[in-house]
Amino acid sequence: MNPLIFTTILMTVLLGTMIVMMSSHWLMIWIGFEMNLLAIIPILMKKYNPRTMEASTKYFLTQATASMLLMMAIIINLMHSGQWTITKVFNPTASIIMTSALAMKLGLTPFHFWVPEVTQGISLTSGLILLTWQKLAPMSILYQISPSINLNILLTMAVLSILVGGWGGLNQTQLRKIMAYSSIAHMGWMTAVLVYNPTLTMLNMLIYIMMTLTMFMLFIHSSSTTTLSLSHTWNKTPLITTLILITLLSMGGLPPLSGFMPKWMIIQELTKNSSIILPTLMAIMALLNLYFYMRLTYSTSLTMFPSTNNMKMKWQFETKRITLLPPLIVMSSLLLPLTPMLSILD
Amino acid sequence: MMTYIVFILSVIFVISFVGFSSKPSPIYGGLVLIVSGGVGCGIIMNFGGSFLGLMVFLIYLGGMLVVFGYTTAMATEQYPEVWVSNTTVMGVFLLGLLMEVMLVLYVLKSEEVGVVFKFSGVGDWAIYDTGDSGVFSEEIMGVAALYSYGAWVVIVTGWSLLVGVLVILEVTRGD
Repeated sequence: MNPLIFTTILMTVLLGTMIVMMSSHWLMIWIGFEMNLLAIIPILMKKYNPRTMEASTKYFLTQATASMLLMMAIIINLMHSGQWTITKVFNPTASIIMTSALAMKLGLTPFHFWVPEVTQGISLTSGLILLTWQKLAPMSILYQISPSINLNILLTMAVLSILVGGWGGLNQTQLRKIMAYSSIAHMGWMTAVLVYNPTLTMLNMLIYIMMTLTMFMLFIHSSSTTTLSLSHTWNKTPLITTLILITLLSMGGLPPLSGFMPKWMIIQELTKNSSIILPTLMAIMALLNLYFYMRLTYSTSLTMFPSTNNMKMKWQFETKRITLLPPLIVMSSLLLPLTPMLSILD
Repeated sequence: MMTYIVFILSVIFVISFVGFSSKPSPIYGGLVLIVSGGVGCGIIMNFGGSFLGLMVFLIYLGGMLVVFGYTTAMATEQYPEVWVSNTTVMGVFLLGLLMEVMLVLYVLKSEEVGVVFKFSGVGDWAIYDTGDSGVFSEEIMGVAALYSYGAWVVIVTGWSLLVGVLVILEVTRGD
């Protein structure tokens, strides 16, 4: 793609999310979502083969449906409250429809079916943008309408997402599908605590974005999209292999790595609000996630995965230099001792 | 009949939307889009927005739909699908028509309809003078406000249109 056009379109994706996050008029928010969707389609289709076109079409159809539902909720809200400003949504019907629309945009169960298929069909860099940046805009709207969200619906979607994200990722060997199911599960954790303490949703979002960025960049560095291909990194860059181990365990939520911080805070916040069974269930289902991360670490860093001898020398062009990788790795594994600083958030 | 003109026009609007949603060939979709554009213009004009109705005819029908018609004519096939040629298309069209007829009968017969929001029968669609807005027309004031207080909206929509063109060119360019 022409570099100037590519830059323009990428900046429009950024502009769309910025408009969503900083507008106070519901119509401008809808315009921001549509601008974001329109501009990300050619980014998803960077390579021209039928898989990317199919993935972009699926993404466009689901997100456009979600935008239509959002518009309907906005108009019902307008009919019942007579104003367009972003506050809590006063009408329960509009609130439910809006929550469903934003859940479709995020990829929460039962609207999660597009996430693995779209993530698998596109290149690693596009998948990176899809799973991190595209989650910011819907989550910011959920944050803003959080006082009026129907608790039953949101918690059901959250718990089912954690279950589906853990269970669905168990049989996968393609790395992009694994990251997609991990995204579904993390979105479930984020929305579970949204009604109780929205600040923790933002904390979880921040740490999730850091860890997902790190994982994708490690995959891009070793040019691997399958488990088999990832298991050959020990021969090329053993340091990257170790860092894959650490980052994956952090994504699984193990102390003393930073991935433990959001899960700990969320479980603490839920138990403070006298719900015991729910965080127990969520923690147990996060074990499913941990299982397939550990399977990846086992085949990558801890053992020499069986392969033919001529595959052991991994051939690629000159090593990609990813400048942001070391700080991201440090941040996605060593942030846990900073947890007491969360008390400054109010 | 004139008191319920907006209701009748809305029903024709929905029926023409059903007509192109049942997916005949795009040429016939464009045909019902012309009908729906004209009817939509009528709805807007009944609320006092004569300028915006003119915009619909000039810009939407006379600009965008004409270009759409030309491009579709270039890309058309030898035997385009019409509503009666394919069982599926006709079935979907009749189903949509049936649902709309049932909804209209429900609205006409019952005192109030409370599906998602309540409105009491056909009376809610009747146009009558509510409140005197003085010597100016609200709709022209709205257009003026768009270009003064709403400058940000103009910038955003203009940028979206430009990026829309760029995106479409990128997507259809191929390798």
